[in-house]
Amino acid sequence: MITRFLGKSLLVFCAACVLVPLLWTLMNAFKVNADLLTPVPQFFFDPTFENITYVLSRQSVFGALYNSLIICLSAVGLGLVLGLPAAYAIARNPNRITQEIQFFVLSLRFLPPVAVAIPFMVIWLNLGMYDTRWSMIITYSLITISITIWLSIPGFQQVPKEIEEAARVDGYGPYAVFAKVALPVAMKSLLGALAFSFVLVWNEFMLALMLTTSDAKTLPIVASEMSQQGLNVPWGILNAAVVLLSIPPLLLLGLLSSFLNRSFAQKNR
Amino acid sequence: MAEIVCQNIKKNYGAVEVVPDFSLHVEDHEFIVFLGPSGCGKSTMLRMLAGLEEITGGQLMIGGKVVNDLEPRDRGIAMVFQNYALYPHMTIRDNIAFGLRRIKVPEHEIKSRTEDVTSVLGLGPYLDRKPTELSGGQQQRVAIARAMIKTPDVFLFDEPLSNLDAKLRATMREEIARLHKKLRTTTVYVTHDQMEAMTLADRIVLMKDGQIEQVGSPEEIYERPVSRFVASFIGTPAMNFIELKVEQSGTEWFVVGEGVKLTFDSSRFDVSVGQQVTLGVRPSDFEAVSEVTDRTLAGECDLIEYHGDQALVSFRVGSVHLHALVAARQRPSEDEHVLFQIRQNTSHLFDATTGRSLLKQ
Repeated sequence: MITRFLGKSLLVFCAACVLVPLLWTLMNAFKVNADLLTPVPQFFFDPTFENITYVLSRQSVFGALYNSLIICLSAVGLGLVLGLPAAYAIARNPNRITQEIQFFVLSLRFLPPVAVAIPFMVIWLNLGMYDTRWSMIITYSLITISITIWLSIPGFQQVPKEIEEAARVDGYGPYAVFAKVALPVAMKSLLGALAFSFVLVWNEFMLALMLTTSDAKTLPIVASEMSQQGLNVPWGILNAAVVLLSIPPLLLLGLLSSFLNRSFAQKNR
Repeated sequence: MAEIVCQNIKKNYGAVEVVPDFSLHVEDHEFIVFLGPSGCGKSTMLRMLAGLEEITGGQLMIGGKVVNDLEPRDRGIAMVFQNYALYPHMTIRDNIAFGLRRIKVPEHEIKSRTEDVTSVLGLGPYLDRKPTELSGGQQQRVAIARAMIKTPDVFLFDEPLSNLDAKLRATMREEIARLHKKLRTTTVYVTHDQMEAMTLADRIVLMKDGQIEQVGSPEEIYERPVSRFVASFIGTPAMNFIELKVEQSGTEWFVVGEGVKLTFDSSRFDVSVGQQVTLGVRPSDFEAVSEVTDRTLAGECDLIEYHGDQALVSFRVGSVHLHALVAARQRPSEDEHVLFQIRQNTSHLFDATTGRSLLKQ
């Protein structure tokens, strides 16, 4: 009884550690500066929409939101289109070469982002594509492809070989077996890869900072710029920007989890 | 319908030789069972027939056509897997129709053919469920339906019943036998269960270390095993073996060992005096007697297994333990002195070094 109580309390405490800062950010997005800067935390206050309105009224925010959505969704899409077949090939043919490939695709992530960003800057400048959405899509694709490959390999390995063999006996060629059998069966674990690679590039800061100046700026860059207005840090505006920034990934995760529930719910009879 | 001809088929995995040399002619309509202990190459052989495993050497013909390098779909086969291998993301209906969809069979024909096979196998009520909502036996029936609907030339079964419980296994075994009687499709069936092999097969192919040990009808294999290995693999309870030596006095031939001296009919066997042999006697070929003769074995009964209608009596002769199957009502009690006689012309002799049967052809 006591251990159960203690266990539950620990869980509640851990959950609070995660949730309270998020709730605090949400609340602060609706506070005026006076409420924000008091030494005594204010739990009850008159909500104001000034911060949100300010953030939404800025042209740069909309441009950046648009950029972020285009760049991230395209990069995730490319990551899936190129990464899933690669992951499947590696999962089904485990040998020295595929192991090397698997390791190699992740090597980009081992380097400090700056070390990756500078060569990219030179490449895109020389190609005349610096600060374009295309250059950002391609750069981010490298991240999404490697993450998709790494996270999908276990998913494909869990697909029983016999199921694919049954499909071969049923007359399907290797591409059809991949598309009609392996992919749908592994779907559940692949969605995790999709969500993770989206969140990763959506929040990406370093590469975006170095590879964009105005046209292709993404939302994290614009949000961070808001903290540099004058001497006072505009906490309210900053929080409002953070809230705005978190909405698309949350929507995506919500959509994915409802999809998961729908397609994998057991019909109880 | 088709016959299968295997000529000197070989299979290597790198340097490891799994099947060194396999030749077999399967007649049209025949039900062949590959039987053997695990790792004897029987599943590998079946997968080579299916086209799921490359053939290293030799020639494989199905229906008069060399199929060595053909894809599974071009061989006219259908296969049932040990773990059912149903597509988990599809309904039963789609599972069964998946193969027909590829060859663009019109939808109304798919529907009528699905109804035909599912009514035979009693799957009608489950068509719109997913495989995970079905029991093991039902899932295996779906797998059989999926194979049947393609009306293949050859059915391949890879240990289809080994994931089912004992009772269900017996029912499914009967169903498979009925289906074969009805469809008469050439069938190759892999199992390690001798009971399945004996009841289903027209001919059993008994394999050991990738090689055929014996091919024959269940009766031939049971009555005239060519080697000690075959004799020990077939039959429950297992055959008794005693290491003995051949001796002759006058016209009488004996096998002699520790506490044992038995006559045998020398016209049945190819033996020479002084040869080391293994005597094989099935537990059911012992009969309890009251008088010592030159065909009796005497010993101390030390354990009795009660089977219901019969009892398995374990007794010790010299240093070997032997088993005899007797009617349960006439079973001795433990620690009793027992006397068993070997039924006339039922004993087997094997060469002690090679293990081959010494029975005359």
